[in-house]
Amino acid sequence: MNKILLGIILGTVLGIFDGATAWFTPAVRNEILGIMIGSTIKGLIAGALIGVFARLVNSLALGIIFGLGVGLLLAFGVAYMQHGYYFEIMLPGGLVGTIVGFCTQKFGARPSPTAARA
Amino acid sequence: MTWLSDAALDRLRLAAESPDLSATRYRLVDRIGRGGMGVVFLAEDQILGRRVALKVVDVPDESGDLAARLVREARILAQLEHPGIVPVHDAGSLPDGRVFYAMKFVEGRSLREHAASLDSTTDRLRIFQKLCDAVSFAHSRGILHRDLKPENVMIGPFGEVLVLDWGVAKLLRPLAGDSASEVDSSAGAVPARPGTRDGAVVGTVGYMSPEQSRGESAALDARTDVFSLGMILKFLLGEPARVSAPVAAVCAKATSLDPAFRYASVSNLAADVARFLDGLPLEAYPDTLFRRAGRFVRRNQVVVWLVVAYLFARIILILFSRP
Amino acid sequence: MRQALTLQRLSPLRQEWIRCTLPFRSGVVHSEKDAARLRQYSVDGSPNSEASRGGFPLTRWSAILAARSGDSSERSRALDTLLAAYWKPIYKYIRLRWSKSPEDAQDLTQDFFFRLLDKDWLGSFDPRRARLRTFLRACADNLVSNHHRAGQRQKRGGGSPPLSLDFAAADGELSRLQPSAPPEMDEFFDREWARSVFTVGVERLRAELTARGKSVCFQVFERYDLQDALPDAPDRRPSYQDLARDLRISPTDVTNFLAAARRDFRRIVLDFIREMTSSDEEFRREARALLGADPPGSAEAHE
Repeated sequence: MNKILLGIILGTVLGIFDGATAWFTPAVRNEILGIMIGSTIKGLIAGALIGVFARLVNSLALGIIFGLGVGLLLAFGVAYMQHGYYFEIMLPGGLVGTIVGFCTQKFGARPSPTAARA
Repeated sequence: MTWLSDAALDRLRLAAESPDLSATRYRLVDRIGRGGMGVVFLAEDQILGRRVALKVVDVPDESGDLAARLVREARILAQLEHPGIVPVHDAGSLPDGRVFYAMKFVEGRSLREHAASLDSTTDRLRIFQKLCDAVSFAHSRGILHRDLKPENVMIGPFGEVLVLDWGVAKLLRPLAGDSASEVDSSAGAVPARPGTRDGAVVGTVGYMSPEQSRGESAALDARTDVFSLGMILKFLLGEPARVSAPVAAVCAKATSLDPAFRYASVSNLAADVARFLDGLPLEAYPDTLFRRAGRFVRRNQVVVWLVVAYLFARIILILFSRP
Repeated sequence: MRQALTLQRLSPLRQEWIRCTLPFRSGVVHSEKDAARLRQYSVDGSPNSEASRGGFPLTRWSAILAARSGDSSERSRALDTLLAAYWKPIYKYIRLRWSKSPEDAQDLTQDFFFRLLDKDWLGSFDPRRARLRTFLRACADNLVSNHHRAGQRQKRGGGSPPLSLDFAAADGELSRLQPSAPPEMDEFFDREWARSVFTVGVERLRAELTARGKSVCFQVFERYDLQDALPDAPDRRPSYQDLARDLRISPTDVTNFLAAARRDFRRIVLDFIREMTSSDEEFRREARALLGADPPGSAEAHE
């Protein structure tokens, strides 16, 4: 599986999961659907960005750092819109970005040489 | 009467045992050792200028059985052209009436001696795979070795693995051209005779299969060599259980007392060893979900720790979340 | 003759015994008339007639089987063979293992071979269970320990001169043993047996090659394979060139003579082994034991 597709799928799945954990917070349980949709879109965007980066840069360390950065940044945006809960949103978001960054570098298929030449 | 010193006794022993090569193309160089039915000498082929190993029947037998067995061994080797099986060059009879055959001289050590110098489990398993290749090839030609043991495996100077001593091999089907009973040779011709009768015990204690030790010659098949290979694998690994549970399972399956529970063929055994080296599920060690998960965790520890960290963070946040 | 008078005073079996030990004496002469008379007696002293002969046909001549034959000439021949291979090992073994004086060991050795036939010890020998030399050693041990218990010195027919094998030569060989510590008995006995067998082989080879007018061939063999060093160079073994020069033949002749002599030697030794065994399997086992060790731990095909 190529890195971009892997990043998109992983980001989306983890985004759905991350959003679903909001159910354990009674205060926001009523808004669970909106949270999950938002989290999914966030995960998809993050996964795509991290996947593209992994395709361009073949470095595990840089991939992890980039993933962490993207995850934190997008999570910051969500927390800003919530006007709070920065720690509660950014910490898991950063970890998810790190996971996607690692996986796209480690498990994503590199582009074939002929495709690269083309 | 002449007094014979101990040194003279040793010389006479060697003189009486040494083959008379006067009417052959070979020149005797040294004595290498003794096999099951003959003695092996190092000789020089004076026409081709290369060293060969000559296996010679050690004592005459009135029935001619020993001679027939040696020739049979040579004919079996002649059918097995494989990098892991010693090639035979010539066969015939000497001026003193003894039957011989000439084969490639292998410089190296037996597996028994070489094993001590192997550092890693992977090296040992790689050697074992090469051994299985050679035996599997022989099986594909309908030939069982029946006496596989570390002493009959030679490791060459470049890591080549060669299987020796096919003297008690069993033919599952006739050799090519078996109706021709004479061997065309440089020094003489000898007849071939049939193989082992049922009831005869053939092999080496500690490596032969239970059915071999019971003398069930007619019932033997590839699984008897699988058993011997399993014992060799145990020898190579020392204590297989200490290496890992899967490889211990491979050894256990290969050396199962009931042939029905062993690997059906040497290739199956070799395939399982290859899978073990690649970290894949084995025939001998069925994958449960738990074992598969364990293998996944071992192979992907970083991801697993990241996920654990994420879940831990999530749980903490849920437990201590502000209202 | 003093010896002939002595013979007549002994039992027929003892007389037969004397006849059989003739080849192994040094400097003792007996008349052919005595020898012919001795051959007429069977083991129980009765005339050796067709009716009393309890012998059985031997399709493969074996000293073990012939020793139990009713035919005295067969027994005589069997005893010759067994003595040739075993009297020195037995004597040396008794000397070393039981620390017997030369005189006691001589008596015991004589008694051993006497009883071997008289008591038919070979009747209980089973080649499938043990080697002949292991069996004979056990018999020697039993004999010596029985004598120990009885506290007796073996006595022969009263007043007669001692019968002798060439014990002086055997004592001389014992003194040449290198290790000062007592050797391991199994290995020692096997080695002495091999020494006896090879000695017989060498003497028979000498006789055969001399009879065929090939004494030079034997000399090549003797100097190259039997001598430990050159007479004038104790630290050097003879080379082909040395032999060619000394015997005034070409080095090629040395090579050919040596190969031929060794071929004949091997045949003679194996024939001798064959005489001492009673089956092909036993022969192969003994021949292998003489010429080299069997590989350990291997199960041989019992076909």
